[in-house]
Formats: sequence, C-alpha cells, structure tokens
Amino acid sequence: MDLDIRTEEKNGQDILYVGGEVDAYTAPQLRESLKPLTEKDIPNVIVDLADVDYIDSTGLGIFIGALKSVNANEGSLKLIGLNARVKRLFSITGLDEVMDISEEREEAK
Amino acid sequence: MSVQSNVEVHTEWGIVSARQAGRNLAKELGFSSVDQARITTAISELARNIYLYAEKGEIIIESVERMQSTGRKKGIKITAKDEGPGIKNIRQVMEDGFTTSGGLGAGLPGVKRLMDEFDIDSIAGEGTEITTIKWNS
Amino acid sequence: MADSFSLMQEQYTKILKKYLEEKNETGLYHAQQFSKKVLENQISPEEVVSLHLDALEKYFPDLPQGVFDSFEFLLEVMMGYGMAYREHQSLRDKQKELETEINVAASMQQTFLPKEIPSVDALDVGVISVPASKMSGDYYHFIKDDNDCIGVAIADIIGKGVPAALCMSMIKYAMDSLPEQRLQPGALLDNLNRVVEQNVASNMFITMMYGSYDPRVHHFYYSGAGHEPGFYYHYDTDTFEELYAKGLVLGIKRDTTFREYHKKVEPGDFIVLLSDGVTECRTDDGFIEREELTRLIRKYKHLPAQEIVDNVFYQLEKLQGFQLRDDFSLIILRRKV
Repeated sequence: MDLDIRTEEKNGQDILYVGGEVDAYTAPQLRESLKPLTEKDIPNVIVDLADVDYIDSTGLGIFIGALKSVNANEGSLKLIGLNARVKRLFSITGLDEVMDISEEREEAK
Repeated sequence: MSVQSNVEVHTEWGIVSARQAGRNLAKELGFSSVDQARITTAISELARNIYLYAEKGEIIIESVERMQSTGRKKGIKITAKDEGPGIKNIRQVMEDGFTTSGGLGAGLPGVKRLMDEFDIDSIAGEGTEITTIKWNS
Repeated sequence: MADSFSLMQEQYTKILKKYLEEKNETGLYHAQQFSKKVLENQISPEEVVSLHLDALEKYFPDLPQGVFDSFEFLLEVMMGYGMAYREHQSLRDKQKELETEINVAASMQQTFLPKEIPSVDALDVGVISVPASKMSGDYYHFIKDDNDCIGVAIADIIGKGVPAALCMSMIKYAMDSLPEQRLQPGALLDNLNRVVEQNVASNMFITMMYGSYDPRVHHFYYSGAGHEPGFYYHYDTDTFEELYAKGLVLGIKRDTTFREYHKKVEPGDFIVLLSDGVTECRTDDGFIEREELTRLIRKYKHLPAQEIVDNVFYQLEKLQGFQLRDDFSLIILRRKV
C-alpha cells in the first residue's frame, strides 16, 4: 500500500503531509520525499502525521535520518499531529526528547 | 564453401529478411523444425534490438563447421553488429529478469539459451557485436 | 537429454496413436500423465508442438499439407512461451542458490545467540526468539559472572531480515569487547551507544534493555535504550506492572547517558522482557493490546518459565494465522519460590 504524500511551501517552511502506514515497504517512499527537504540550506521542515495510523521501526529510522540531516544543515524539523500510538513510539524510544514533536496540528494555532 | 548473407536492419522488414535468410540456411543445413524456430527467434531478438535501439546495424548469417571425434559438425553462426549506444553494464543485461524491463540488450539471456554458443562485445558510444552459434545435433 | 527426448517422442507417438484409434477417457488420462513427464524432463512448450508434428508426419503422412504448416506456425507462436519457460527455470535455479546462501547466513547468525542459558539455583529462565523470516533482527544475550550474577540483554535492531542481521554481528562483538562493565546496565549502554553511533548509517538504530540479576540479594538492576517496555509480575498481589526504563535508542547521540533502575525481586515474582514483535502482533481486528499479552502470561504462569514463553508464542502465532510480521522474542526470569 502506498503512502499519500503531499508537500507545501508556506512562509519559508516546507510542510510534508503524510497519510497511511509507514513501514518497511513504504518507508523508502517517505525517505525520497523527506530527504531533499532536510538537505536544503538551513532547512525548516514540518511533517504532518495526522493521517498516519502506524509507524514501524523502519519508519522511525527515516525520521532519525531526517533529524541528523537537519542538524547537520543547522535547520529544524518538527513532527505534528501524532496520534496516540505513534506518540507512544516516539516516547518509548526517547526520541521525544531529541525531536520537536506535537500532537497539535499547525492549523489549530 | 561458406555461404554468407548480410542483412541491413533499418526497418521491421529488415527483421523479416534476416529471419528468412536464417531459416533458409537452417533448412539447408538440416536443422529440425524446432531448431529452425529457435534460430529464427534468436535472429528476431537480435535484429529487434538493433531496430529499436541502434540507428544502424546488420545481421550476418553464415554456416560454420567443426571437427569432432564423432565426425564433422555443421552449424549456423549469427553475428549482430551495430553502431548504437552500446551496453554499459553487460553483466546486468545478461541477468535474468532484466529481460522484462525492456531496453537495449533485453532478451539476450533468452537468445543465449536458445543457441549453443554466445559471445558479446560492447563499447559504450561505439556499438555492440554479438556472435552466436547453433550446432546441428 | 537427446536420449530422453527421443524416448519421449516414441512414447508420445504411441499414446497419440492409441487415443486416435480408441478415443476414450483412458487415452486422455495418458495424455495428462504425459504432461507431467514433460515437465519432469524439462521439455519446453515448442518442443511439445514439435513432438506432435513429428507424430503426425510419421503416422498420418497423407494429411493435407495445410495441417503440417499450421503446426509449424503454432511452433513459432510457442517460442515466446519457450523462452519464458527457460527463463523461469534459470530464475528458479538462482532462487535455490540464494536460498542456500541465506540458510548458511541464518545458521551462522544462530551462533551469535547464547548456546545455553546460564543456570542459577534462584532463577527459572525461559527464552524464545523466532525470526519473521530466516534472518532475525532480534538479539538476546546472557552472561553469568563469578558472583553468579546473571546479565541479560534483549535488543531489537531496526528493520528485519538481512540488514538487521548484519548489524547484529556488530552488537554481538561490541558486547563481547566490553567485559568490565558487564553487570552495570547503565555504563554498559553508555559504552555500547558510542560504538553503535560511530558504526551505523544515519537511519539505523538499535533498542536494548539490559538487566542484571544479583541472586545474593535478589535485586534486579536495569537500563533501557528506547526498548519496548516489559512487565514485572508481583506474586503476592498477582498483578503486572510495566517494566520500563526510559532512555534514547542507541546510535543517535554520542554522549547519551542511561539511567539505572532497580527492583527488589520477591519469591515468585518474575520479569518479562520482550521485543516489539510481541506487542505489535496484528490480527484482523488490529493490534493486540498489552492486556491481551498479560492475560496470556497469567494463564500459563503456573508452568515453568520456558513453557510459559513457548505457550504464549504459540497462542500469538495462532492469533496471527501462523504468519509472523515481525521478529518475536520473549524472555522470562522468575525468582523461584
């Protein structure tokens, strides 16, 4: 099953909307869309995960790779709209302490 | 004694002419109808590669002989020469499964299996030469 | 090959002739049996047409020429199938080769896992670790020191299959080369993290829970690197508690430190360590709840630890229609009553 991916540029931010299940099969698709955004000069990336029901460890790895890339390019990465199951995964792995993560979505502001 | 036909392959007609020349010689050399079909299929595949991916090329069909302990053996030799783009990764096109992806060199493993001997030389930017032989058993 | 082909030719001619004379179901049955032989002898489709053509020429030379010509035509049409058939054969051989290679690698991987579980009088230990396919991304490790302390590690390497297995060898050697901190979980993870961080690709990571059981005082010390929480079972109250040690997964940040937690283990209490393949069991109705898992463990808790883990695995495997989606590892350490 493919991921539903859409990108949008707003106020100098790249917003990536992802929908579906991020697992070993779909992770390469996510990496392809996310990687170039994180490799920009001072990247400012927001990933909206409101329509993601499930992320497995391979999917988590993509976000870790993105975080490392963003840090190397002195930019920022934020994940928003995480559901409870996805949030738990980031919390158990301790990634919630090294990544900017929010259950809220940007629109809610 | 060797009979040789050279067929230029520019169009699909060229493919048919090459098949015809191959079939005539194969019949003459006494190949069975299955072997005739194999030889012409191999010619088709090679000629199509030229037609689709190289601007200019030819198929050369000739009879060959070999001495063996069991006596003299006759065979048909097909050479496909072109001045096309060449094949960058020969090992890759000789792998099964690549066939289905289309592109230059597709179908070569199939040709190799239809025939008894197979040899390929290719230089990127210069062209490709494939030689293949079927012996009459 | 030539010999078996001419034998087939003879046989085909015989059964065809018999069928044309008698025209009964027996004859057609022979044809069906013959088609099996065709496959056994790796005769390709165009050769079958040729068998037919030869038989016709031999027994019915008076048929109109158009009939023979039409079979020549069919022969040509079958060439595509013939080529596909040969490619299939060759791909099948290649698949067998790859399978053999993977089998060798899988049995080599087995040597990374402990051959036996160290035994101490105070503990009853059960372990099961089953890969979803041939190679596993789950790793576990046991060690006993001179004071009879038992060190236990459970780790999950991102992804599964061959890439995870390759990464596992690094973990195994890294752990073997850190003997002095072996029984101090926090320090061990600090060191391991540095090795992993330097050696893995940017999107790789490893989660691990490391624990150390001191049977002299019955304390269990443990630290975690982002690993799926386990359970702690209290014998006196018959309750499960989540066993979680907060900590960042290995391989992200070089200077990560890991907190050490500890539990006083009473008689009959047990510790459950697991990989996320256990809690992420998926059925048609969605993921199983962690309560489902504790319910299963409770159901078998009267059994020896090994039988508990075996039974729980069987039940969860059954729930998923005997198809594992992820590597599955479950360890139970119980203080004997």
